[in-house]
Amino acid sequence: MMEAVNNIVDLVGWEAIKLVIGLVGVLVVVVVNALVLTWAERKVSGHIQRRIGPKEVGPFGLLQPIADTLKLISKELLTPKNVERPLYFLAPVIVFIPVMVSFVVIPFDAYLQVKDINVGILVVLAFSSLSVLSILLAGWGSNNKYSLIGSVRSVAQNIAYEIPLLLALLSVVLMANSLSLRDIVESQKGLWYIFSQPIAFLVFFIAGVAETNRTPFDLPEAESELVAGFHTEYSGMRFALFFLAEYTNMFIICAITTTFFLGGYQGPILPGFVWFFGKTYLLVFVILWFRWTFPRVRFDQLLNFSWKLLIPVSLLNLIITGGILKL
Amino acid sequence: MVGKILQEIKASLVNVDFHEASYERNGYHLSVEARTGNSPEIAKFLKDRAFYIEDLFCVDYIDYVELVYFFNRYKELCRIKVTLKVDAAKPVAPTISDIYTMARWYEREIHEFFGVYFDGHPNLTYLFLHDEIDHYPLRKKAVPVPDEAKKLLNSYKPQEEEDAFFVNLGPQHPSTHGVLRVVVKMDGEYIISAEPVLGYLHRMHEKMAENRGYVQFLPNPARIDYPGALLLNLAHVATVEKLCGIEVPERAQYVRTITCELNRIASHLLWFGAFPADLGALTPFMYAFDDREQILDILEDITGSRLTYCYFRFGGLYNDVGDTFIDKTKAFIKRMRERFSMYDKLITGNVIFVNRAKGTGILEQAEVTKYGCTGPLVRSTGISFDIRKAEPYAVYDQVDFDIPVGTVGDNMDRYHVRMAEMEMSLRIIEQAIAKLPSGPFKAEKVPKKLKPPKGDIYYAVESSRGEAGVYIVSDESDTPYRMRWRVPSFSNLMTFPALAEGNLIADAIATLGSYDIVVPEIDR
Repeated sequence: MMEAVNNIVDLVGWEAIKLVIGLVGVLVVVVVNALVLTWAERKVSGHIQRRIGPKEVGPFGLLQPIADTLKLISKELLTPKNVERPLYFLAPVIVFIPVMVSFVVIPFDAYLQVKDINVGILVVLAFSSLSVLSILLAGWGSNNKYSLIGSVRSVAQNIAYEIPLLLALLSVVLMANSLSLRDIVESQKGLWYIFSQPIAFLVFFIAGVAETNRTPFDLPEAESELVAGFHTEYSGMRFALFFLAEYTNMFIICAITTTFFLGGYQGPILPGFVWFFGKTYLLVFVILWFRWTFPRVRFDQLLNFSWKLLIPVSLLNLIITGGILKL
Repeated sequence: MVGKILQEIKASLVNVDFHEASYERNGYHLSVEARTGNSPEIAKFLKDRAFYIEDLFCVDYIDYVELVYFFNRYKELCRIKVTLKVDAAKPVAPTISDIYTMARWYEREIHEFFGVYFDGHPNLTYLFLHDEIDHYPLRKKAVPVPDEAKKLLNSYKPQEEEDAFFVNLGPQHPSTHGVLRVVVKMDGEYIISAEPVLGYLHRMHEKMAENRGYVQFLPNPARIDYPGALLLNLAHVATVEKLCGIEVPERAQYVRTITCELNRIASHLLWFGAFPADLGALTPFMYAFDDREQILDILEDITGSRLTYCYFRFGGLYNDVGDTFIDKTKAFIKRMRERFSMYDKLITGNVIFVNRAKGTGILEQAEVTKYGCTGPLVRSTGISFDIRKAEPYAVYDQVDFDIPVGTVGDNMDRYHVRMAEMEMSLRIIEQAIAKLPSGPFKAEKVPKKLKPPKGDIYYAVESSRGEAGVYIVSDESDTPYRMRWRVPSFSNLMTFPALAEGNLIADAIATLGSYDIVVPEIDR
């Protein structure tokens, strides 16, 4: 038995096996996380709106996401007549790939990380900007005016908010002297960067909320204007994939914020991954809180906010950080 | 003051006949008959004197059809009825749509219901009906519709080599508040033009009224304006009472005032929930419904229904109110006052909300007479016009209240006006409850079958959206010869194309939300 395992290890190498196990683990985390978040969103929105949210399926309605998933899986996949079929089918698939890759480099615990790449953060940012491609494909392929407007908005929004996102992270990278996510967490042993880089934290979190298309920046799917935006024409499991990707993106942004500003998996007594998930879900709760409290901003206000406020502030922050470090 | 205006009109207008009218009996001050088809000149004359177009409709007298124009003033109420007789066999009349923009819709409505053609109207197409109607619905005798008259407003084809594209907002759209359809021509995110298409909820209440007795029509007003059912119920009941000369006991009048104001708050709360939802904030909706639920419970106790109330009867009420009603209402006032301060903290000060609502959807004060808009929409522009003050009905002259007005007429002003109006309604209810007299709640000896004397009457109340008026022509039979509903949302919505033009679609949606339109009321 051991011999067989050794043979396989010799054949493909430890790294490859670790990667496969890691990817399976990531898949589990992604799905479970999305289920938990849909439940959390319903419960949080319920309590904010003086309701109780789901309570019939399972204790505290905990099995509600499973019931929803079953419903979505069993639904007929409707394809409207006039869609661009290849693009229309491709979009919900593409939306998922960048999401999966981002998970690979996130350090959940000191030793719980699929792969520590020395340019980890660049991988995350590069792949997260791919998700806008799938939104564009969905909007264009649906051949629907609401979808098209939604996807065009999404592209403009993502371009505008990726810049402050990157600039805010760069000031942390300057301080940590590394692009590897684990190094960044390790360098926060003494002081979390939220205290030494509060402006970068705010800019990053706001831009992150905008990147994930959540209220108050949910213009690509503004339901009072664009019905459902880019996923108007999607139903059943295809819609569910977009839905899943949205919640996973939300988790990734919060996970990156935790890694960069809240000390990642570090914390006393409790094991590292508990600290990591605790901090991440706290941030997720804040984003849910935003959604059920704030109105939506207007398109020009959204872009002005990024180009005229976030980018200059984060640039200034970067320059000051660089200057202080040099001294 | 009114006398001076009337004298000026009498002295200046030529080629007209003045008919006797008394405000106490008919509800309007002066009746002018345009003898030589000179209604456009009269309209122009009145527009220069700050008259707004209150209503424009038609009555069929078999030999001839009569166009009836109502003009009124925001300052010093002075209601002028202008009539124009049109040959029934060959009905053609001059248009006033270039003077009063609102007449565009009124004339289209008359065109499809009576077959009257308007010279110079920019697009005389159907407004409510579909093109398979064989006969003009409101004519007394069957008059077939010629095929060439059946024109629908449905040709929206973009010109070639044009960047613009068309989007249909509605009839099924999350933010059109019912089945309203707006055809929007857009260039990117900007709106080039917007054209509301009506008729998806058209139920021909005016025709129904002609075919049933006055009592039988009682439930209908609640279907015309469902969030403010009691207010239109009152408009109908009070008009008939005035026409028949029925005296209403004081207690009934007080209860009418209290219940109407409760209904007004309920209606405004519905708007308060829906407006932030149009801006993307979904939570206020639930809070507003929580409060509205209290009102529904109170009104359910006395009226028996929760939405489409039919509580007022000719000469009084359906039944009396008891102590539980008083106690519950008092408790509600206390609760609501606390809620208002919470709403202020949650929404009024929210920076995103303020940025979205301030400076968008501005309605100019100088423009409002063209449309004849009323209610919070006109008050937001700074005109303090409220039927409750201008011509008090029920017991509004015995309670003390102010008319909240805005300054610039943007979405934020409309928000503030409505919020202040709710607080004002609480004040009215409080005073009315304190003064509520004992006594009968119903007039005695009201005949089961009403046969009002010959004549016509216009009577208006302030509904939660503006001036809701009823015009009745009685021919001494037990059914009205003609019943016309002047509804506020209809004239308010007409301002939308002008306000939407050149703006972002997000702002246009917010503006439409701030109007508080009710589609069954527009379509009737």
